[in-house]
Amino acid sequence: MLPRSTQGESGTGGQLATIPQEPTPVPSSILQAKYTKVRKGERSVYWMMVPALLLLLVLVALPFLLSVYTSLTRLNQYTITDWLRAPFIGIDNYITAIRQGNALGASALQSVFVSVAFSIGTTVLLTPIGIIAALLVNKPFTGRRWIRALFLLPYITPVFVNAITWRLLFMTKWGLIDRTLGFLHIASKQTLWLIGPHSFWAMVIADVWASWPFLYLMVLAGLQGISDELYQSAFIDGASRVRSFFSITLPMLRPILGLALLLSTLNHFNNFTLPFMMFGTPPSPSADVLPLNVYVTSFQTFNFGLGSAMSIITLILMMIPAFFYIRMLRLGEESA
Amino acid sequence: MRTSSLRAEHRFWNTLRRILIVIFLIFILLPIGYVILISLTPDTQVGDGSLWPTHLAWGNYVKMWQTIHLARDIRNSVIISGFAGVIATLIALGAAYVLARFKFRGRRVFLLSLITMQTVPQVMLLLPLFVIFVIIQRTIAVQMVGQYYTVVLTYMTFALPFACWLLLSYMANIPLELEEAAAVDGCARLGIVRHIVFPLILPGLVVAFVFSFLLGWSDVLFASVLTNGGTQTVAVGLQAYVASGQAGGDVFWGQLMAASLTSGIPIIIIFLFVQKYIIGGLAAGSVKG
Repeated sequence: MLPRSTQGESGTGGQLATIPQEPTPVPSSILQAKYTKVRKGERSVYWMMVPALLLLLVLVALPFLLSVYTSLTRLNQYTITDWLRAPFIGIDNYITAIRQGNALGASALQSVFVSVAFSIGTTVLLTPIGIIAALLVNKPFTGRRWIRALFLLPYITPVFVNAITWRLLFMTKWGLIDRTLGFLHIASKQTLWLIGPHSFWAMVIADVWASWPFLYLMVLAGLQGISDELYQSAFIDGASRVRSFFSITLPMLRPILGLALLLSTLNHFNNFTLPFMMFGTPPSPSADVLPLNVYVTSFQTFNFGLGSAMSIITLILMMIPAFFYIRMLRLGEESA
Repeated sequence: MRTSSLRAEHRFWNTLRRILIVIFLIFILLPIGYVILISLTPDTQVGDGSLWPTHLAWGNYVKMWQTIHLARDIRNSVIISGFAGVIATLIALGAAYVLARFKFRGRRVFLLSLITMQTVPQVMLLLPLFVIFVIIQRTIAVQMVGQYYTVVLTYMTFALPFACWLLLSYMANIPLELEEAAAVDGCARLGIVRHIVFPLILPGLVVAFVFSFLLGWSDVLFASVLTNGGTQTVAVGLQAYVASGQAGGDVFWGQLMAASLTSGIPIIIIFLFVQKYIIGGLAAGSVKG
């Protein structure tokens, strides 16, 4: 196959799990692209993006507007057949969402706390793991390509498989976790991990296991961008490796780490599959993340209006990290 | 003196690295190994405290095809994810070409909304889409829920922005000069896309397809609401095992693990084949993580 760009692959090219030369995950090259014009006598080429535009309008923009509307109505299984005549109740759904839980679980407000704690907690836990893993395989050694490929294994396994795996590992009494902890006399062999307050931690641990390779990949890409000369001159100045790490590696990684942490937070906030497959529905309130709560409210208690209101709340919360993410992509600078 | 201490230091770090790599491998492989072990354990022995089964129950890998409709579910997953991948990739190609090559009013808004769409919680779109499908069903009596095309269509909500974004970064790396040269030679625009852009972006298309396929394969949310017994994907199918446990029955853990492994392995094989291209794509289009 043809090379994907005019730049060659890096020196490790052709290996398993190669990180291509361009280290930034931000496709900043989009911003530096050369533009062309529709040539004279040529019919417009803009039709080529019409299918995408149309689909996205119908599948994203329209549902979004509908969602805003339904969040203001009492839409449920009785009124859905005649949804336009569903009683308009203003912001009642939003008040209900914050004040009380649905019949099966936590209130939206509690779910917000669970989701925020979950996305920040996993990110904090998986960051050092990802950095250490990337440092381990950054320099060549025999068997590195296999190690690199193996490091990605949790990440490429479908999330629902991971969730089922961890459901098994966390089974009370005979699951591997309870067995090990009981054997080491750290915790009771009868600890309930999948229901009750511990389920939050079960979810965090499973998610850290499944998604640390994302950070590892980002850091690995970032490490490729750091010139060896920096380390050589630091070495000549007598700096230790630990010192070089804190004075060179970490500062140089800062932009990519910032982006990775942001994306990790965003992704984890939206994670539905893992808790859904791990705990089933309804989950215990301490693992009732916001997307799961919206799902149960909408499709199990059929309170579509309340579900919409909760998903709007989710979106508003997501806008905070998303705003920083878009800022970091620096899309605004393309006019330069 | 300095050399020998350097060598000692070098040895120290090498040893540390080896130890850490082993710890990592245990961390990664232990859960997977346990799953493989349970998948070969007879159901009667799963819960009784002994770690090693007295005999290997290969039968789990046979019985799972009968307990749930595993083959049908895998076929559904292949059909749905495959179509979603192909359609998303082809439609994204046109959009990415225009976005990468032409400056026009609204371009920046389009780019921004592509990113924003990838951060929108899927459950937020599912609900109104479900309402829309129900309305269509009522008004023109066309069954929507439970059809392949409905699910494929909803997968566009995440596959299309993702594929656009991914192809954009590939497109920006194709030198414009090649296209200009072809234009000077009198090649029409579609001819340029067909003969110049397409071959150069082929690796990008492969990555876009594979990722859209993987995203579709892993989806549980849309499939659990929009499929029915006949069209359910493998992820939804596996839930039948778990649900039987929640209903008070016994969970066939051995079979469930065998089936989980079976449904994860196609993805891992695909990944191994195309991973040379994919790692860059992982980073480039990393919004979906």
